[in-house]
Amino acid sequence: MEGICKRLAPECVLLDIQVKDKRSAVSAMANSLATHYSFSNVEELVADILAREQLASTCLGFGCAVPHAHSAGLETTYIGAARLSPPLVDETPDDQPVTLMFLLVGPPGRASLHLKLLSKLARLLHDGELRDKLLGATTQKEFLNSICEKEHGT
Amino acid sequence: MKLLVFVLNNEEFLEEVLEAYVEAGVTGATILDSEGMGRFLAYEVPLFAGFKEFMKGNRPYNKTILSVVRDEQTIKDVRSLIDPLVGGLDNPGTGIMFTVPIDWVSGLVPEDEEV
Repeated sequence: MEGICKRLAPECVLLDIQVKDKRSAVSAMANSLATHYSFSNVEELVADILAREQLASTCLGFGCAVPHAHSAGLETTYIGAARLSPPLVDETPDDQPVTLMFLLVGPPGRASLHLKLLSKLARLLHDGELRDKLLGATTQKEFLNSICEKEHGT
Repeated sequence: MKLLVFVLNNEEFLEEVLEAYVEAGVTGATILDSEGMGRFLAYEVPLFAGFKEFMKGNRPYNKTILSVVRDEQTIKDVRSLIDPLVGGLDNPGTGIMFTVPIDWVSGLVPEDEEV
């Protein structure tokens, strides 16, 4: 099964970033992916993500959101993560501000993979114990390890 | 004895499908209003709203027909009548038909009293 762990690089985990709105959070994550994986068209990618947000909020509740989009400029599927400090007040199902944000982006032709990864992210983030670990992680590696442990059931 | 399950994607064929059932010898069935997982996710769960475009061409609602069938030949006959009717079950978006063995049943009309 497709995994989050192997697609999330520690360099693309942004801990305690300060953002003024959803656009700046998405932009920070997209830029970290572009830097790490050396791709361009970040502006187009951010525009695609925000266009998707216009359809319906990607906030799951309990302080988590998974902005995502297909973007023609990408050749493969990437995942980034951010912990926001302070949390971002946004339209959420439970009115809880967003602290944990994961970004999932990929090319339009990989809808099935995108859907599987999106579902897995949603399932993992429903786990309160994992959320606590992610909120308490002191390093990018620790953040990533918590996801890997949960994903692989160790 | 088997449970014959048919998820009919295009509700417009329901009347003809049921006629085929009767012709094949199925004398009773239960028809349920049902809905595909894709439609539900794309339209009811905000996280998956971006996948609406992949629903194009798929029908939002369908019918699920349950029937208890006593013999294998009836199942073959149902399949042979319905397959061309719905445009070929091997083609996506037409429907799914399958059977499940039944190890116990109560409430069926006795075979010799069936219409």
